[in-house]
Amino acid sequence: MKKKIYLFISCFLLLVAGIRAQHLSDTIVLEGVEITDTLIKRIPFVSSQVSKELMQSVQTRDVGDYLRSIPNVAGIRKGGGAIDPVVRGFKFSQLNVVMDGGMKIENGCPNRMDPVSAHVEVEELSQINVVKGPFLLNYGPALGGVINLQTEDPHPYAKFEIHGNAMFGYETNWDGAKEYFSLYGGNSKVYFRASGGYRKYGNYSSGKADGETTTYNTSFTKYNYGVKAGWTINAKQSILAAYSESHGRDVLFPALTMDEKSDDTRMMSLDYSAKNITEVIKTLDVKVYRTNVNHLMDNSKRETWQAKQMVADVDAINTGGKAILGMKVKNHNLSAGLDFENIYKDGVRTMTMLMMGTTSTKRFNLWNKALIQNAGLFAGYNAAYGKYTVEAAVRLDLNKADSEDTLILIKNGIEYFNNPASQFINFSGNMGLTREITEKLSVSLAVARGTRSPNMLERYIKLLSVGYDSYDYLGNPQLKPETNNEVDLTLKYSDEKLGSMYVNGFYSYVKDYISAIMLPSSVIMPATIGAPGVKQFVNVDNATFTGFELGYTSPQAYKLGVNVIAAITYGRIPEVTKYIITAGQVTGDIIIKNDALPEIPPFETTLSVNYRFLHGKLVPKFSYRLVAAQNHVSEAFYEPETPGFSILNFSVAYKMNKNIDINAGVNNIFDVSYYEHLNRKIIGSTEKLYEPGRVFFVNLNLSI
Amino acid sequence: MNMKYALFVSIILGALLFLDISCKNDTPEAGKTTGHISFGFIHLVDGLPLEKDIMKYINAAVNTYEINQVMYFISDVTLHKSDGTTKLISDWTDIHYVDIDIPSTLTWDVYDDIDTGVYDSISFVFGITKEKNQSFRFVNPPEVNMMWPDILGGGYHYMMINGSWKDNENVIKSYAFHMGIGQLYKSNVIEVDSIYAFVQNYFSVKLPSSAFSVEENKTRNIEIIMNIDSWFKTPHIYDHTYWGGAIMQNQPAMQMAKENGFDVFTVGKIE
Repeated sequence: MKKKIYLFISCFLLLVAGIRAQHLSDTIVLEGVEITDTLIKRIPFVSSQVSKELMQSVQTRDVGDYLRSIPNVAGIRKGGGAIDPVVRGFKFSQLNVVMDGGMKIENGCPNRMDPVSAHVEVEELSQINVVKGPFLLNYGPALGGVINLQTEDPHPYAKFEIHGNAMFGYETNWDGAKEYFSLYGGNSKVYFRASGGYRKYGNYSSGKADGETTTYNTSFTKYNYGVKAGWTINAKQSILAAYSESHGRDVLFPALTMDEKSDDTRMMSLDYSAKNITEVIKTLDVKVYRTNVNHLMDNSKRETWQAKQMVADVDAINTGGKAILGMKVKNHNLSAGLDFENIYKDGVRTMTMLMMGTTSTKRFNLWNKALIQNAGLFAGYNAAYGKYTVEAAVRLDLNKADSEDTLILIKNGIEYFNNPASQFINFSGNMGLTREITEKLSVSLAVARGTRSPNMLERYIKLLSVGYDSYDYLGNPQLKPETNNEVDLTLKYSDEKLGSMYVNGFYSYVKDYISAIMLPSSVIMPATIGAPGVKQFVNVDNATFTGFELGYTSPQAYKLGVNVIAAITYGRIPEVTKYIITAGQVTGDIIIKNDALPEIPPFETTLSVNYRFLHGKLVPKFSYRLVAAQNHVSEAFYEPETPGFSILNFSVAYKMNKNIDINAGVNNIFDVSYYEHLNRKIIGSTEKLYEPGRVFFVNLNLSI
Repeated sequence: MNMKYALFVSIILGALLFLDISCKNDTPEAGKTTGHISFGFIHLVDGLPLEKDIMKYINAAVNTYEINQVMYFISDVTLHKSDGTTKLISDWTDIHYVDIDIPSTLTWDVYDDIDTGVYDSISFVFGITKEKNQSFRFVNPPEVNMMWPDILGGGYHYMMINGSWKDNENVIKSYAFHMGIGQLYKSNVIEVDSIYAFVQNYFSVKLPSSAFSVEENKTRNIEIIMNIDSWFKTPHIYDHTYWGGAIMQNQPAMQMAKENGFDVFTVGKIE
């Protein structure tokens, strides 16, 4: 392993030494990340933009898988796909993941088999924008970051045109095939885009360890289709209507107690845009949307099905809208808007036990007509003052929640679950300043406060294994919002001859951090087969996140391209209770000081080297990823350490002509047996779910 | 420059404003002292440790029998002081499962902090009370294997003693000496359709000579003995040949077992 590392470091140094002076493009490309020059220089926080071209250049099975290639973005793997993004250690509702600049999807699955990123396919996207920290407030409350998944929009043409795209992909190991088609066109008044895709993957095998591989039940079938239609009312106004569906069938999750039998998601939205309305009001954007998820999961593909059957059926509906005005007064850019979101969730789990020749069936509410409403007002400002750029935003949210839950859980005067209604007013705000020290170097300091109210799961879930461990979790209707107070310091350097780089350090102090504690079995018993006990979501006083990331990219004009990224986050909780478990029994508890937060990814770095042959038509690329061991693990949560690993990938992109391009390669060339720290454990064992071993892939893109 | 300086100062002040770091007020522990207790479960037949799977025992009805499995629940363990105060063991769990084939169940390290002092006696519920004995309370082994069918009253077996005996003709037959919720049938025919009422067969046990003391930060180990042969004698002589192998749907047999249970449990060593 060390030899490999030395070899690549040597190559890296030789390649850097060989770089010749050329003009710097106004775009910097990091590994899988594109950051524009303007963003680099002016924005006081870290914002990563990923273009469609970059997404097409690597092999991904879902959006979450792709997001893991962005610095300080990790993912939680529970099966073959639907990887749940984690940004700087923040996850789930700590991240605001939206589609098309504001459309939200409430995941149907309490186990998060279907995070928002699982409801859209990579091929549908035109851009991904990841903002780390609570800095982008016009998409809704943001605590740890915002991920905006922008799908391809149709656009008008001077005269009628029609175009088409087709993509075919295949990868070995899990016999994965995917197809995607799109048809788009229109004229200056009416334009459209229709698309659809299908992907079917089998079970994948891990890399070899001692000559042996392990095959996991990770197969899945997914398909999606949709249509967008636009109408240019006049030169200043337009309307865009969109409808799409995504479906999953028999999506297996070996790290969860159940598999996804079916997932049917419908998304519809209507956008109105106006520009240059007055001298001051430059833009008006209005969006309304509705997303509807029906999620059915069971354990019918597990051995336990014969004696104990679990079926969960959940409906989740998110309806909302937003309006935002963009204004400009001299060199002052202002924005102001409001948004609203109504989340409805209802679901039951049916358990059937077959024992002693008899059958017992019971229905449990997972959610009982639960409702969360959030209304927000927000405003933003930015302006340049000579070498300084100021950026600021504020947001005020009114958050209300209620449920028709009838569960009352009170013992010894302690209300564990009672009175489901709650209401909060949350304030978020941020301010940042960028100083251009020289033409090539800038420094930014940004402070932010982001508050988010507890989500559906944290408030109302009833007894399902939804955490990283195998415990059943119980919601807590009386949870308070959690608030992230964050400081970011960013240094950016851009030079025509040397390339561009940035270094960012951040510190987050999360007040009323939402964690979970074990509940006594005398209060409540688990309802999920295999769950050793019950945990309930609670606010703990605080938790802190510290970390840094850096990125370097060589000038794009060079034939030789080099990219380096590195990132680490360190999460800590000052005081937490550890329950002593002896022979399966809780026999006591102790207080742990300065414990690690669970599910924080370790340090990792990636070096990518490519060379542009034939004027960029043929581009081979090597990518070497080195991940350190994660030894800073939560003692209170009995979190195991994870060994480090390194993998090497190779790909080659060939643009045959304007109609055909091919991308092929091999991931995990040395068939390394490894798992990410955030990968969940296989149900019924202490073994983690390993990542796929060596995979050969080829993608063919056709366009007319 | 002054304006730039003012901007930087504003940023720093803003940071301090947002970072509403507060100090935690630690509440001091109340001034009482506590220790712990641990129960060990011993199983005797005729005063000697159980030797399972050997046809060597003879009960009061002169049945020769052997014991293969013993599983049961005790719940709501209560510690009694002479001043009338009690401590219910329930801070973490209030039901304990015992299985002679699962060594970890033969010791119960109680989570609860127990006030120091002298305790007069120990009592508990044999089985599970009606309020707590609900189907799907346990979904995992081993407890889930104690499930009692819903059509027979639901919940869980209080106890299973499985084994075999020699009948009057020396034929070896299996018995399932099971206790749980009983049923009352409209007719002599034992059919689930004729059930008109259920009977809760759990009962309270007060352990004789179970006084003990708890010292600060120390663990008192208390042995609870099940004298298995006592299920079959005093006040009633239980005859396997008369009652047959399975008694889940035989309330009179379970009633006899329940009444025999008053002296089944005793206390062993207290250390």
